[in-house]
Amino acid sequence: MNDILTVSGLNKSYGDFSLKDVTFSLPEGCITGFIGVNGAGKTTTLRTILGLTSRLSGNIQFFGLDFDKHERKIKNRIGIVLDDGCFYEELTLSEMKSILSSAYTSWSEQDFKRYMDLFSLDPKQKINMLSKGMRMKYALALALSHNAELLIMDEPTSGLDPLVRSQLLKTLIEYMKNGGKGVFFSTHITSDLEKAADMLIMIDNGRIVFQEEKDTLLDTYRIVKGDSQYLTEDVRKLFLSVSETEFGFTGITKQISEVRSYIPDVITERPSIEDIMLGNIGGAK
Amino acid sequence: MMVLSLLKKDFLIVKKYVLIMLFVIVLIPPFMRWRTPEFTGVLGFILSVVFAVFMLLQYVSLKEYQFPKAAALLCAAPFSRKEMVLSKYLFCMAVYVICCIVFKIETLLIPGLGTADIKMFALMFLVTAVFIGLYLPVQYKLGYEKTKIAFMVIIMASPVILPLLLRMESFNLDFLSMISPWLISGGIVLIGAAFLAASAFLSMKIYDKADLA
Repeated sequence: MNDILTVSGLNKSYGDFSLKDVTFSLPEGCITGFIGVNGAGKTTTLRTILGLTSRLSGNIQFFGLDFDKHERKIKNRIGIVLDDGCFYEELTLSEMKSILSSAYTSWSEQDFKRYMDLFSLDPKQKINMLSKGMRMKYALALALSHNAELLIMDEPTSGLDPLVRSQLLKTLIEYMKNGGKGVFFSTHITSDLEKAADMLIMIDNGRIVFQEEKDTLLDTYRIVKGDSQYLTEDVRKLFLSVSETEFGFTGITKQISEVRSYIPDVITERPSIEDIMLGNIGGAK
Repeated sequence: MMVLSLLKKDFLIVKKYVLIMLFVIVLIPPFMRWRTPEFTGVLGFILSVVFAVFMLLQYVSLKEYQFPKAAALLCAAPFSRKEMVLSKYLFCMAVYVICCIVFKIETLLIPGLGTADIKMFALMFLVTAVFIGLYLPVQYKLGYEKTKIAFMVIIMASPVILPLLLRMESFNLDFLSMISPWLISGGIVLIGAAFLAASAFLSMKIYDKADLA
């Protein structure tokens, strides 16, 4: 598989926060979730790779093209959904579309109309009259109406009700079936990724923690429950995080064989992505 | 051209005020003729241009300030930052051209407004170019709020400065009649255009380094 986005050695300082040597790649044909808690650096990373903020160092390539040398060509091939409020809200949907559409060489009015109908959006309506969910659907309609090969979205599901989130994820899956080469979306709502993502990249405190296929990741990690008396120093080291109560301990590990060698009758569970994310950012060890 | 789409965007986001402004720039010259007939013509034109350009630019800047992520979305699309900056200069020039057309029509229709000649338009182009040439780089550097305060101070000082200017007996352009009007106008327009180009270059440099919301 070719990589459609390669980020290497990305560094950026932003007040008290900094991205530190951020390196990852998106393989073609995958929906990739970019996870992390609030303030972990998801939005800063996305904004930096889109050239919306400057960077101290690092190399960014889309479709094998250097971003600095081919910025316009690259932007013409990607669809963008930024978080809430990225429009001139006093314009109508049709007016905002007329501005954005002129930037893309392969804008499809037919596709736009199809998405507007699909999402029940009225082109004459003003943007400030839309609900958060409708606004996100409109942003998606704009992003998907110019034959984008890669869709980049910043927290698209944040603050949306389950029905709208489900529609949005369905649209992403259809987009991939219809020839999209990739979707890269940041979120802290990891349950959405359980349904849609193929690949996961986690960031914490400005550093990439892991990049892994979702299924491999879920197979690698295990939640372990047992009696606290087994929690020796050597056993503790096998866990990413451990929480203890008077009834026992619960920990998350990716060294389940070693844990079993110390505690043979331990209870294990398959973790959720959220468990893995929280395990990786510390917790009570 | 993509810069024209951005120009259209600026007019769309201030569309509510465009008609009001048009009404105002139509009314200022006849109003001046009525209230201060000694300054009929050129002063009415100057006021209508300064008022329209400044107010509409303020409205555009206010909307950009209210919805900063919209500019980020446009820059994440294939619009370049250079085009974003250029469109603001084009917007001001477009407003100036509209003021010129309105005043020209008024001088043909309303007797006593004087003549709208090429020298007047060229001189006003220079005034507008200097005004936006100073204002826009400052705004790109300091942001909408700080720039507004800085220019408000200047506007508040205007009641003191304007009467002094009006009393200046040398406030005429008679000396220019010695030279060919086309040569003078061409020279003035060139100076204004050079000033605008330098200002736009500076604004682009500033905006290029800005972190977008």
